[in-house]
Amino acid sequence: MTPLHPLLEPGWQYAVLPELILSFGGMLLILFDAFLPRAKAALAPLGLIVFIITAWSENLFIRGGLWFGGTYEISAITMIFDLTFLLAGMLALLFARDYLDREGIEGGEFYALLMWGTVGMMMMAKGLDLLIIVLGLEILSICIFVLVGYHRRMPVSNEASLKYFLMGAFATGFVLYGTALFYGATASTNISVMGRWFQTAQATPLLTIAFVLLMSGFGFKLALAPFHPWAPDVYQGAPTPVAGWLSVAPKAATLIVLVRLFNAMGPVLPKVNWMGMVAALAILSMIVGNAVAIVQRDLKRMLAYSGIAHVGYMMIAMLTIREDSVAAVAVYTITYALMNIGAFGVVSLLIKNENDPHTLDDIAGLGFRRKFYGFALALCMFSLSGLPPTAGFISKFYIFKTAIESGHTTVALIGILTSIVSVYYYLRVVYYLYMKEPAEGYEVSSAGGVFAAGALTIAVAGILAIGLFPTPLFQAAGNAARVLLQQ
Amino acid sequence: MPILSVLVWLPIAAAIVLAFFPNRAETAIKGWGLFWSAAVFVISLGLLRGWDDAHAGFQFVESIPWIPQWGINYSLGIDGISLWLVMLTTFLTPIIFLAGWNAIHKHPKEYVIAFLIMESAMIGAFVATDLILFYIFFELMLLPMYLVIGVWGGANRIYAAIKFFLFTITGSLLMLLGIIYLGFQSYHQTGIPTFNIADLYGTELLPRAQALLFFAFSLAFAIKVPLFPLHTWLPDAHVEAPTGGSIILAGVMLKMGTYGFLRFVLPFFPESSMRWSTLLVTLSVIGIIYGALVAWVQPDMKKLVAYSSVSHLGFCVLGIFAMTQTAIEGSILQMVNHGLSTGALFLLVGVVYERRHTRLLADYGGLGKTMPVFATFFVIAVLSSVGLPGLNGFVGEFLILAGSFKTWPIAATIAATGVILAAIYLLWLVQKVFFGPITNEENRHVPDMAWNEIAAMVPLVVLMVWIGVHPNTFLKKMEPSVKHLITVMNGETGGEVMVAERHVGAAALSGTATAEAAVATLEGAKK
Repeated sequence: MTPLHPLLEPGWQYAVLPELILSFGGMLLILFDAFLPRAKAALAPLGLIVFIITAWSENLFIRGGLWFGGTYEISAITMIFDLTFLLAGMLALLFARDYLDREGIEGGEFYALLMWGTVGMMMMAKGLDLLIIVLGLEILSICIFVLVGYHRRMPVSNEASLKYFLMGAFATGFVLYGTALFYGATASTNISVMGRWFQTAQATPLLTIAFVLLMSGFGFKLALAPFHPWAPDVYQGAPTPVAGWLSVAPKAATLIVLVRLFNAMGPVLPKVNWMGMVAALAILSMIVGNAVAIVQRDLKRMLAYSGIAHVGYMMIAMLTIREDSVAAVAVYTITYALMNIGAFGVVSLLIKNENDPHTLDDIAGLGFRRKFYGFALALCMFSLSGLPPTAGFISKFYIFKTAIESGHTTVALIGILTSIVSVYYYLRVVYYLYMKEPAEGYEVSSAGGVFAAGALTIAVAGILAIGLFPTPLFQAAGNAARVLLQQ
Repeated sequence: MPILSVLVWLPIAAAIVLAFFPNRAETAIKGWGLFWSAAVFVISLGLLRGWDDAHAGFQFVESIPWIPQWGINYSLGIDGISLWLVMLTTFLTPIIFLAGWNAIHKHPKEYVIAFLIMESAMIGAFVATDLILFYIFFELMLLPMYLVIGVWGGANRIYAAIKFFLFTITGSLLMLLGIIYLGFQSYHQTGIPTFNIADLYGTELLPRAQALLFFAFSLAFAIKVPLFPLHTWLPDAHVEAPTGGSIILAGVMLKMGTYGFLRFVLPFFPESSMRWSTLLVTLSVIGIIYGALVAWVQPDMKKLVAYSSVSHLGFCVLGIFAMTQTAIEGSILQMVNHGLSTGALFLLVGVVYERRHTRLLADYGGLGKTMPVFATFFVIAVLSSVGLPGLNGFVGEFLILAGSFKTWPIAATIAATGVILAAIYLLWLVQKVFFGPITNEENRHVPDMAWNEIAAMVPLVVLMVWIGVHPNTFLKKMEPSVKHLITVMNGETGGEVMVAERHVGAAALSGTATAEAAVATLEGAKK
């Protein structure tokens, strides 16, 4: 059988099997909703099945190696990131089911967009060519634009969508422009080819401009300070489960792209001070994120700023690309997915007008009223602040350990000092949960069905399991990182 | 039976099961907590039975790899330094359940769960022989204490809870950075990743690095002790905490700081410890005097006891940085003593607060007539805290002062006045509350102590007398480990004989049986 196209090596279907399953699964869900509009209750379980089959296919049918003319890499590290995206998607889906149902806006397209967005992220994680990465980024971004504005009748949701769209389009432009300049310098958009070119490269202003443009674009996606101001507004306006997903999954995809880029640029880095720039961004993010989060009373905005700080922590590990630093970032993204989507998930269960802010007062006394929700949110807060025995501690420990071993002690010290600040606002949430009585006549009720409870159970179990028994995950991440860096 | 693991995990296991109890079964919930904490105490008695008096290193050792690629093990062990602190923890926990039997009606299930988790964490921190494991338990005890103060505390509880947490976490996070750096240096030198405490003892550090690490660790522990001027969180936390929280906080949690100095700071950074011992001794002496003076003027009973803690723990730190065997043994014994006597005082203040809902000294007077049993217990606890010969406080303070007199004569002299001041403010407290005419009519019909409160106090009093009359039961089990600690320090400082020489004099002065041991140490150091 002759291939359809010279770049389609035999067996390519298996290489992109997860992407195919998700794409078709999404279409199926839309059609299902169109033909059986009364069977909305079946949508989320179907979507969940699609996610589970995809995760299962990752294990069974995947064929490692380079595909499509060396532009698509499938290896242990892409598998870890794929599973992270799937985990994030699954948690978001479970929280969204109860949320959408309550708000009366459930539809097949919501789950489809989650799946397609996941496909976009998988492309970013696997792409060895900047153009593939941009393609994945665009698929992801379009899904996010729609998902953020999914609560059609809510003005805040529309506003958030428009904001993200305008700024996101700008950011993609930066990424493309940076890619074009790199192409101009290296005569390729393929990261491995660029890597070979970098081995003999000299620092030129052109390269620096290209790097700055690329970093600005990706910095936007990461919500890295000073490219962060969109994040609080968008998270606040987006449907809460979407905000949780948005705060985690796209960042993970962007981080793995940066790992590849920094790794390829390795030889030229000693000649230029690009990592100084990245360190400055990390420090700024940690300071801005943690300092501004203190004054936030809106939970979603607070989590947005905390997310800015957390990206800062992750960037600390990336200042020197080593096996440990890649593994640390991988571990941190998984942990972050569990704790942050879990936290947003509990917020999504509060019953109130979605146009209003979700403030700290809304969770006053929740810890004794709804014990499991309260406990889960408290655990997520402890984990976010990096207290043992949660996953957040062990992951942060990994990050700081890596940083110290790479000689970035000062940055690590700033990281520690800013996390002391962060403890204050995370603990304030716990304070409202357990120590504050709701104000007279103002008691926000909360409700979630079996889906949300299931998602919270996954988050809680994951946070504790990684916190107590991190070794298997560390080993998997370490092995995957070794494979990535050997290329 | 891996007895240490059982001690560490049994309370948490009991807490997990308790989470599924119905909320309304209050008696069952409290009974469950009391039963299992008592069971833990009975099991911990097994430590004494299987104890090898001659062994200086860790006993009942357990070790399982936990994160092998970083050399982090789940390794437990107990030596003479930690033995009595573990016993103190298992001893005090059932007592707080007993004492709080009738006091806690708000969310009793969560209350018992919080204390059980705390018990696990405290035992874990004392018996962990891996630095990371220690750190995890060290942090884990903060969360339940934060909740205990914040949920069951007094009017200003939120402020106190957050202050407590932020103070402690600031120190411990900086220490975490130090731990990572220390582990990295050790890996750098030996090529084997490890966080095992004994393996890290030999890590060579540049003077500057050692000084920085010394301060990172010392800050964490000094906040916990708390050492002047880092003590400001303590009075707030104590005043706002419920009685049980105060007992555990003063009785055990503060000892994490002094224990940390002994276990980590001295052997890890011996040169820096010697260089900066002046600073720490000065601060602890200031703490002794300052705490006593401030306690003197407190109108609030609980605050008075809280400041007396600052003063008493100053003695412990003084004993540690005197670095003689007698002083260190006295310091460890004083940690236990303070747990007993201050725990008892907090318990008793709680008893009277529950009946009258005031802790102001001015509201009392003549209680001795209406509450004779209470008054008896209170006076015994006060005398123990003051250091009356025949009770426990005397032995600890005497050993510390005798042991530090040779190395720090001036400091010891000033500290000794702290003992006098303690007598003044505590006896003044007794006089105000119990003697004189009944000035306040409400005090005329206050019920005396209930069965559960008496049951909680009796074991405390028994131990106070036991330590006071026969301290050797306790001292002889810690002696080899303390001797070993001093040897390790001397070994690392290249046979710093000075300490051992001073120490002979100190031991002779104190007249305890440790003089021979001291001579042996001296000879060991000279070789």
